[in-house]
Amino acid sequence: MSNNEQHSKPLLRVQELRTWFYTFGGLVKAVDGVSFDLAPGEIMGLVGESGGGKSMIGFSIMGLIDPPGRIEGGRIEFNGKNIAGLSEDEMRVIRGKEIAMIFQDPMTALNPLYTIGNQIEETLALHTALSARERRAKAIEMLHKVGIPQPEQRLSHYPHQFSGGMRQRVVIAIAMIAKPRLLIADEPTTALDVTIQAQLLRLMRQQVVENGTSMILITHDLAAVSQMADTIVVLYCGRIVEKGPAEDIIARPRHPYTRGLIDSIPHETAENDGPKQRLSQIPGNVPDIRKLPPGCAFAPRCSRASERCRMQDPVLMEHNAIAMGSGKLRPHAVACHHPLAVSP
Amino acid sequence: MSQSVKDPAKPLLEVRQLEQRFDVSGSFFDRLRIAGGRISAPRRIVHAVNGVSLAVKRGEVLGIVGESGCGKSTLAKTIVKLHEPTGGQILIEGEDITRHDFARMRPVRKKLQMIFQDPYASLNPRQKVRDIIMEPFLESQAGPVPDIADRALALLAKVGLGIEHLDRYPHQFSGGQRQRIGIARALSVQPDLIIADEPVSALDVSIQAQILNLLMDLKDEFGFSYLFITHDLSVVRYISDRIGVMYLGFMVETGPTRTIFAEPKHPYTRALLAAAPQLGTKLGPASEQVGGEVPSAIDLPRGCPFRQRCPLAFARCAEERPELRPVGGGQAVACHLHEPATEPALAAT
Repeated sequence: MSNNEQHSKPLLRVQELRTWFYTFGGLVKAVDGVSFDLAPGEIMGLVGESGGGKSMIGFSIMGLIDPPGRIEGGRIEFNGKNIAGLSEDEMRVIRGKEIAMIFQDPMTALNPLYTIGNQIEETLALHTALSARERRAKAIEMLHKVGIPQPEQRLSHYPHQFSGGMRQRVVIAIAMIAKPRLLIADEPTTALDVTIQAQLLRLMRQQVVENGTSMILITHDLAAVSQMADTIVVLYCGRIVEKGPAEDIIARPRHPYTRGLIDSIPHETAENDGPKQRLSQIPGNVPDIRKLPPGCAFAPRCSRASERCRMQDPVLMEHNAIAMGSGKLRPHAVACHHPLAVSP
Repeated sequence: MSQSVKDPAKPLLEVRQLEQRFDVSGSFFDRLRIAGGRISAPRRIVHAVNGVSLAVKRGEVLGIVGESGCGKSTLAKTIVKLHEPTGGQILIEGEDITRHDFARMRPVRKKLQMIFQDPYASLNPRQKVRDIIMEPFLESQAGPVPDIADRALALLAKVGLGIEHLDRYPHQFSGGQRQRIGIARALSVQPDLIIADEPVSALDVSIQAQILNLLMDLKDEFGFSYLFITHDLSVVRYISDRIGVMYLGFMVETGPTRTIFAEPKHPYTRALLAAAPQLGTKLGPASEQVGGEVPSAIDLPRGCPFRQRCPLAFARCAEERPELRPVGGGQAVACHLHEPATEPALAAT
């Protein structure tokens, strides 16, 4: 991360974002008062389990919320300008050029009826004044950069002629070709194998660093996030329960939910051959988001919950944490009445 | 359960040189090719499982890992005879079930049950929970069972569900609860071996831990064995006593869990372990990474299946397919770099 990050203005400032869905089953507050800043060049991990609202934050930023969903309130300041509630025409100028998105399933993100070449050049045709020949040259260069062999021939191939990993490389090429300032990657490697996943995470990081792009990495995979991100935001039932520097969140989580997520991942701790340790588990299930309990949404599953937790919503409070290595103070915020003590 | 005296020396499950091929060529006209003025109709065969041998002892957990398309799920389905094996042998407590038909499989299914990956697709949406979980048991009984409701309740209690769940339908449950129902169904006949095909992959992390704990608790209580299929290295490390690593339908390395993780020998195993994300470790530069992707199972490469991606491949790898050979310490590797002749020190142990 750059040194001037402390002074520079955030590229993206999300304030009190509320994205609600009016379904027949009731009101779904998929995102309910989420705020965060993203500095230029910063990689932020958005983690949580299904139903946490992490994808909906990405969709809200991209202006992809359709009825019955609505951005109910809050601001999404991109480069100093509020883009929440822009019209479709206005969003189209930003989408693809300024903000690009990578989805989980590369097959549904690509149009099966067009060649890869068409789809890569489309972004350039929309957002630049390059000639057809220049666009083709750029597309070849980009395919080469994302590690697709024989890019000249591959341009005329259709998505079905690529493997899953190769398709996701094409999607990355499309996302990065206009050099966007913000890349939102929603579970980009979840559908892929471990060896391919590592290749693609490296590729994305390299692309983002090369172009100075900021990135929001949305995933349920804490391990993958901890490998990539500068900061981590943990979501539960549409709200931020904890955010802070990545190393700090992983090494010293303050929220019981974050702690629970980390401990749920099976990891080898002891060297002994003795009987297997039980995994520490979070009891119960993620509650129905339409019928959230009063107070803290995590309280029914939390071992530290008190009467206060069941009555009063905890607010996100900042503590200062020292980011490893840099020695700089960076905020670590947690929404909990009884946060875990910082272990030495 | 203990209807016969069990021979502890005999493995519960033994698979010898199992082969599973699928003909995907379609009709004659689909296959028709005209090339160089000649008409041919080549067949397209997917070589899903290629000569896999394994054994699961009583009370043991054997984990099978590999990436998608490596044949691990096909292996599981072939062992429970959801597919008819095209070659090799499957033995349950010494009894060869390879050519058993449906009727002769029925008593075998009491010993052998399966848990599936997708808790949404593996439960009949029109059946109530009580019917789902008791079906294998009723199938295995000759006449009516008087205390069926009590049995169903006892089963549900074992997997952490209660009496209020008995008359509900699958759609009324979350993913984790559905997987509990699937586990209860497998338990109903008190099997000796449970084949679990990615049982926690579709679940959220916090629920994953609950189900893994449940599986381990049940194993301790009933003493059965698992053949545990997964792509998740942290899960397989946690749950298995021994591990088998598959690649392109071949078993490339087997051994005790600790040995595999401490001293992986096959270049593919090494690459797989190196690629797995570690919590709190920054993504380093590509080190023992393999490039490229898994080749097609229709045209198996000559020689070693991994040689095109292997950083250490040499001439012999293209010529001769390495066989799974023991290298000592219970570990076996299918790699020309680790043959007993080239490593006498290891072979002696």
